Amino acid sequence: MTFRGKIAIKFAKFVAKLCLKMGRQGVTWAGLIARKIEPNILQILSSQIREKVYIVCGTNGKTTTNNMLCTALQSQGKKVICNRTGSNMLNGVVSAFVLATNDDCTLDADYACIEIDEVSTKRVLPTLKPDYMVLTNIFRDQLDRYGEIDITIDILSTAIGMAPNMILVINGDDPLSLSLAKKSGNKFITYGISEKVFDADEDAEIREGRFCAMCGAKMHYNYYHYSQLGDYECKECGFKRPCIDYSATEIEHGDHLAFTVMGKRIGAKYKGFYNIYNILAVYAVASHSGVDMDGFQKMLDNFNPENGRIEHFNIKDTDIELNLAKNPAGFNQNINAVMADPKDKDIIILINDRDQDGNDVSWLWDVDFDRFAQENIKSITVSGIRCQDMRLRLKYVDIESRLEPNIATAIKSKVENGVKNLYVLVNYTGLYSTRNILKKMEEEQ
Amino acid sequence: MKIVIGHLFPDLLNLYGDRGNIQCMVQRLKWRGIDAQVKTFSIEEEINFNELDIVLLGGGSDREQMLVCNRLKEIKDQFKNYVEENGVVLAICGGYQLLGKYYETDQGKIEGLDIIDMYTVQEKGRLINNIFLKSELFDMPIVGFENHGGRTYINDNKPLGKVVFGKGNNGKSGYEGVVYKNVVGTYLHGPLLPKNPQLCDYLLKNALERKYGRENINLEPLPDTEEKEANKYIVDRYSDKIENFKEKIRKLI
Repeated sequence: MTFRGKIAIKFAKFVAKLCLKMGRQGVTWAGLIARKIEPNILQILSSQIREKVYIVCGTNGKTTTNNMLCTALQSQGKKVICNRTGSNMLNGVVSAFVLATNDDCTLDADYACIEIDEVSTKRVLPTLKPDYMVLTNIFRDQLDRYGEIDITIDILSTAIGMAPNMILVINGDDPLSLSLAKKSGNKFITYGISEKVFDADEDAEIREGRFCAMCGAKMHYNYYHYSQLGDYECKECGFKRPCIDYSATEIEHGDHLAFTVMGKRIGAKYKGFYNIYNILAVYAVASHSGVDMDGFQKMLDNFNPENGRIEHFNIKDTDIELNLAKNPAGFNQNINAVMADPKDKDIIILINDRDQDGNDVSWLWDVDFDRFAQENIKSITVSGIRCQDMRLRLKYVDIESRLEPNIATAIKSKVENGVKNLYVLVNYTGLYSTRNILKKMEEEQ
Repeated sequence: MKIVIGHLFPDLLNLYGDRGNIQCMVQRLKWRGIDAQVKTFSIEEEINFNELDIVLLGGGSDREQMLVCNRLKEIKDQFKNYVEENGVVLAICGGYQLLGKYYETDQGKIEGLDIIDMYTVQEKGRLINNIFLKSELFDMPIVGFENHGGRTYINDNKPLGKVVFGKGNNGKSGYEGVVYKNVVGTYLHGPLLPKNPQLCDYLLKNALERKYGRENINLEPLPDTEEKEANKYIVDRYSDKIENFKEKIRKLI
């Protein structure tokens, strides 16, 4: 370790502590400072990892997948570096390594599990040399920052080009991911759900990748799961869902999840069809890289999708479920999860438009909110910076909502005058603060 | 009374909540007791412009626009006739660019419908942010969100509005969009119509008058409380000089 590197680490740690004292996360600042003092800091520290470096990218499911992979490795007694809080731009990644160092400024770690924002991959990959990249899926997300979905794919493609030895682990049900993997020339393995699960009408939801990413012809689907995920085939050029390496069958979903992969039955006690993909991705990458899979089920039993990706609170006898909903694909999946609960419920939706959320809120109109017109939904409160837009969105599907820009007030009001079953759906920048508010209210009662 | 809305190629041109624009038109007709029918046309389907009262051409990525462009060549004359006969068109972003002579990108030149004497050139950097305009057509400002790499030059045509905050057609002229006969072309997403009910009603009124005769149409005003408040939120946010300054600093960092 260079003297400069040590200074960088010490100073960054100091700033992180200071931020924490002031009640802020501080992760971004610590990373920025470390990088400014020692530009090679990421390279220096990542080369100290003894076994493998994994990165996780993709529009939805990054944090859950990455945290689950980390937990799987830790359950084998391994030491793992992980950006658990979901700070996934360059500074957040640097910070994960820097803040994990010992007092002598060196790392003692077997693995690194790092989630990276798609746009940041081109800044991270030149210095971090991962062994594997898990690509969860490519959906439309935060368009104003990325421009268009094609731009996201271009950026990922450039970044993957910088790491030719990195093995890609992709969702074979996603034609956009597959075409990206095929064009990259990197070695890739696939996972997928290999049976028809939903009886959905085909036109409603496939919005991305309806046209072959290879030749532009219209794609044919034998079945599809959600968004553009499913069993697809282009009759023009022959591009189709590949032979899946880690294939899930005998699917059960609803209030729990279960499926069979590689002859093993796997179950999880949480909701959300999309979580099958997250579990499969972890299974595929861990298994392929030689991790012992015997304890996988036990790990899942103890795993809790963290940091607001479904978190439960109980305040004054009101059951509260907090969930992140930041783009149409994710939001529609969240609506499924809410509708799977037959009990009476109140809903709070918080929409912000800060940079990490995307400044453009047009995507709200691509979410199927009409499905909220149900008897058992007793009230909807809209909150956050763009609550006005959310209220308007609901008005045009004939659903009335109450405007309350302040989220703490909104929650308090429903805890006091609600039906004791509350769902709070928030987009990105609302997550940390909403979670803190809920935690505090839970402790103070 | 009944209005038929033709949504062109939503399988390719549907980048930003265009569903919202359709939903807005349909609901505002329905709330006034007027029937609405939406016909979506995928790229291989025949389009009979005679049975359409409003045509919506949405936005797509450059790749998708290239695919649409070949199809447009085949319907160019019919589309042009529809416009010259005062057919109502709302064209947004990619669809707006396609109304002109061409769109020059670094991947090649995309030939347009050549309905309006204007053209678009891709220039460095994308123009991305909230935007609001003052239009001669309405008292209420037009608000939205722009996100485009192309710069559109509308020659002597009438713009939709003057940019109060944002970039507009090309970041230089100070104007946004175009109005030609009953065609409105604009870069504004948001989606455009829900927060701009005045513009939505303008399109609906034009379509109804064309179909049923001016003397027979009296479009009842709607309360529009939520619409006006959402519109005002953007206007206030970007009229505030201190907020503007903060926003600029934030973008710089």
